[in-house]
Amino acid sequence: MISPLVAPGTREAHVDWPLWIAAFGLMLVGVAFIYSATGDTDAAANLPWWRYRAIGHLFAFIFGLGAVFVLCLVDYGRLARWSLVAYWLSIVLLVGVFLVGVSRNGAKRWIDFGPIQFQPSEFAKLAFLFALANFLSRPPEELRLPGNFVKALGMALLPFALILKEPDLGSSLVFMPTALVMMFVAGVPRAMLGKFLAGTGIIAALILFDVLFAPPNWKFIKLEEYQRRRLMVYFNVDFAPSGATPDQARQARLLQRDTAMNVDQAMISIGSGGLTGKGWRLGTQHSLGFLPRLGAHNDFIFSVIAEEKGFLGSVTVLVLYGVVLFTGIRIAGEARDRLGRLLATGVVTLLFSHIFVNIGMNIRLMPVTGIPLPLLSAGGTSVLCSLVAIGILQNIHLYRRHY
Amino acid sequence: MLLFDQLNKGDRALRTVAWVALGGLLLLGAQLWRLQIFSAAKYRQSQETQSFRTVRVPAMRGKILDRNGIELVGNAPRYQLDLYLDELRPQFETEYQHRKLQVLAAKRVAAGEPEPTGFFAQFLDKFRHKKRGVRLTRDEIGALERQVRYTVVSNTVAAVGQRMGMAIGLSEEALQHHYLQKRFLPLSIVTSCTPQQVAQITEQGWAIPGVALEQVAVRSYPHGPLAAHLVGNLKRNDIYDEDEGVFDYRLPDYVGGTGLEKSFDHELRGVAGAKSILVNSAGYRHRQAEEIITPAEPGQNLVTTIDLALQVAVEQALNGVKAGDERGAVVVMNPANGDVLAMASAPAFDPSEYVNGISTERYNSYFLAAPERRSVNRASIGEYSPGSTFKIINALALLENGLNPAEIYTVEAGPGGKGRYMLGRRPIGDTAPPGDYDFRRAFIRSSNSYFINYGLKLGWDRLMAMGHRFGLGEHAGIRIGEEAPGFFPTGDEARERGWSQGNLANVSIGQEITVTPLQMAVVLSAVANGGKVYWPRIVDRLESGDVLSNDKPVVVKPGQLRSQVNLQPRSWELVRAAMRDDVADDEGSGKASRLKNFAVCGKTGTAEIKGYGRKDKVTWFTSFAPYEAPRYVVIVMVESGGSGGGTCAPVAKKVYEFLRDREQGLTKGVAAR
Repeated sequence: MISPLVAPGTREAHVDWPLWIAAFGLMLVGVAFIYSATGDTDAAANLPWWRYRAIGHLFAFIFGLGAVFVLCLVDYGRLARWSLVAYWLSIVLLVGVFLVGVSRNGAKRWIDFGPIQFQPSEFAKLAFLFALANFLSRPPEELRLPGNFVKALGMALLPFALILKEPDLGSSLVFMPTALVMMFVAGVPRAMLGKFLAGTGIIAALILFDVLFAPPNWKFIKLEEYQRRRLMVYFNVDFAPSGATPDQARQARLLQRDTAMNVDQAMISIGSGGLTGKGWRLGTQHSLGFLPRLGAHNDFIFSVIAEEKGFLGSVTVLVLYGVVLFTGIRIAGEARDRLGRLLATGVVTLLFSHIFVNIGMNIRLMPVTGIPLPLLSAGGTSVLCSLVAIGILQNIHLYRRHY
Repeated sequence: MLLFDQLNKGDRALRTVAWVALGGLLLLGAQLWRLQIFSAAKYRQSQETQSFRTVRVPAMRGKILDRNGIELVGNAPRYQLDLYLDELRPQFETEYQHRKLQVLAAKRVAAGEPEPTGFFAQFLDKFRHKKRGVRLTRDEIGALERQVRYTVVSNTVAAVGQRMGMAIGLSEEALQHHYLQKRFLPLSIVTSCTPQQVAQITEQGWAIPGVALEQVAVRSYPHGPLAAHLVGNLKRNDIYDEDEGVFDYRLPDYVGGTGLEKSFDHELRGVAGAKSILVNSAGYRHRQAEEIITPAEPGQNLVTTIDLALQVAVEQALNGVKAGDERGAVVVMNPANGDVLAMASAPAFDPSEYVNGISTERYNSYFLAAPERRSVNRASIGEYSPGSTFKIINALALLENGLNPAEIYTVEAGPGGKGRYMLGRRPIGDTAPPGDYDFRRAFIRSSNSYFINYGLKLGWDRLMAMGHRFGLGEHAGIRIGEEAPGFFPTGDEARERGWSQGNLANVSIGQEITVTPLQMAVVLSAVANGGKVYWPRIVDRLESGDVLSNDKPVVVKPGQLRSQVNLQPRSWELVRAAMRDDVADDEGSGKASRLKNFAVCGKTGTAEIKGYGRKDKVTWFTSFAPYEAPRYVVIVMVESGGSGGGTCAPVAKKVYEFLRDREQGLTKGVAAR
């Protein structure tokens, strides 16, 4: 059996240390602040220690690291041969969500496997990465054919649409930048990408306009009501329609306040952290319930970190992510083939999209969408997939010279 | 550098990706800088505003003590039952879920959507999107929550009531008001528990969630209405003082309404402290997290010059005088330094009635009664004609201006065997019989004719000037809020008013002018001590209310001289001797105050006034004792009395009796001085 740490025929270092030091740092931060956000509640519920959510997070890391070890046993080239199988399996699982999925807070995103609940959209992201990288690794000449461009887009649109329908706007949206960046790096002609981008931009603008400003019977796009409201908050659209009665206006304002509350409270958490923060477990925003109780340890974990560790803490998190991302780009540059390069690019883009959208949502650069922060947000599937994504980078690094 | 190699190495596509990633991270960093550094103060403010409530905590009020440190007014614990709404939240939630199902079911029926029956229908129902009609609107949720809160709270309150064997009322509006205004504070459900109830609560296991026994300090009056007007009462204080800081809530606080409580309110009140209560997003108290921001500094104890045992004796003497219908005042002063030893006024009120809130009827009976029955401090704010007691001033003015005390004046006979004085064609009655009067006899028989005759010769200026030298017409300057200056014009003012000889005749015998009993105490002190007019002193010192404090008490200097009236020694001596004889001589008007072994010197007075719209009398006895070395001045004033000698002198006698017996160690059971 080949050890993943000693690639045959070479004496170079095989563990990409910067990558893993940064990843371990993030894991530590994740466990510490999930404990900060949930420890008291778990203690109050008299849970045994192994059922604490912070410990669950730790277990997910251990399990994920095991998965990474197994993953690194096999050359990514060999794995890529199974990519289409994995892709279609993920599509089947996504369809399965509609049939046998379980709902939490009004969104059907999970499949129940007894002791654990699994979120197929996370798996779909990885399967999609492999499939698209495999598809795009064909000779550059073939990528100039419009048919292939359409096929590549179709590969992204299928899971995008399925996940959008769950509904999980945030997770579905990350497919688009990932696909585009991979195509860009693969060498799909700029003109094609440009036209596509311009087209999507116009359509997106029209959709937004329809969602935000069109009168009710003119709405062609059916977003979930809460999604529409979040967008209205982000774009500062008044909830009260013109010509509303005072009572309607009052109701609308209350609704607007409630909808804006999560973001406003996240901003207060972060802003009140100041330079150095209030100290670990000393933040008040989550313990007093101003941050959403269901979100403080996952979608809003960054607010907790920023409140308790201040600007220095939040920048540290950004730097750790920066190390992971730039190491990923370096690995892409050093990959032995186009497949590895595209795969690494895809992983980097996927991670970056999550980071940017999630933190951006916390600090009001982006609208609120339920999207996890890699390695920090609680949630087993997300943690597992984030680790596997980093494992893919390690795999590409490991087999960079070996054929 | 290792990480940034990607920005200028590798192919163009990857370099672009690297720059975009760097740009994205920098954008996040910039926004974080804006929030956490640039606007940190603003967000910290918002965070504090929404998660802390500052509560003003009043300081323990200082005590009011007598000159020997015995409590006149103190503080006592009152036990109340408080309900912490935050501890009922789980019950609110359970009850809400329960009610919600009922309401939803009712709405479904109303919307024509029957309750699903049968296993399959119920199963399918779970997957159906809820239609608009069967959802609760925001207003309905609010109303339901309000209803649920009241149900849970009133159940708890009822359980408490059952346990304590009493009915406790709580209106829905009161709860809602508390909920909206101050849900982070406990709701007081029983404001005052009897000792039996306290014992019951503390001895049995008290397991009603959210209910706790709390102790608050309230004013206690160990001697009931004793010296009520002097110490005064407290009233609820809801005035928001911005200087103290900004608070979300003030705990109940009191402010002096009258008397010493009012005039020394600042010292007694101490410095309020502040605590902050951590509240959660629902506005409830977060667990028991309370932080004292600044501790309250207890108020200072006020040590008065009052002699408690003497005050008791004085009030007993005064209250016996008209069988419970007394309206009058007594002031006892130390002539050597102006210390007020006792001060009583009737009718009194009971300040302890204010502790739990005085009822409107009781309040009205005290302070909105007919003017003559109103409960005010007659000793310092009551202005009365001094009547014949003014002859003391008149006599001093006459003697200083050359009156020969041996000169004989003959009082002419009037109708009924009484004397009278003819001012032109107007007769003025005289209680003294007709006959020959020298100064001494005129004084002790209180002859109006004699004093009018010489008073008219003396003239406005010299008569009034003598009164002003003793401070008449001006505030005596005691430091309690309720004080009046009396009416005592100067000679010029009298002439400006167009006052005639007739007025001068009246003033000579103490009519038409007014004084307060306190002013008379100051005058008599000066007569007794040979002309020293003191500022009356009621507060001896202010001591720190903190027993551990090393702060030195602030002492009010005794014997502060207001002015010195320099007269010939002979004048003082003649007046003092005449006052002694007024009591000692069988012919004297004040003989009812005569005591063995204690030479009381006094002057009676009966002023005829048109009080409260009808003819009335004000009776006086102004005195000092003992003659040889005056130690006490006692002023007795009774409204609607019979006569000074008949009504007031016996009161003074009782007071002197007490003082004499105490000095001679005869009184038992009273703290010796």
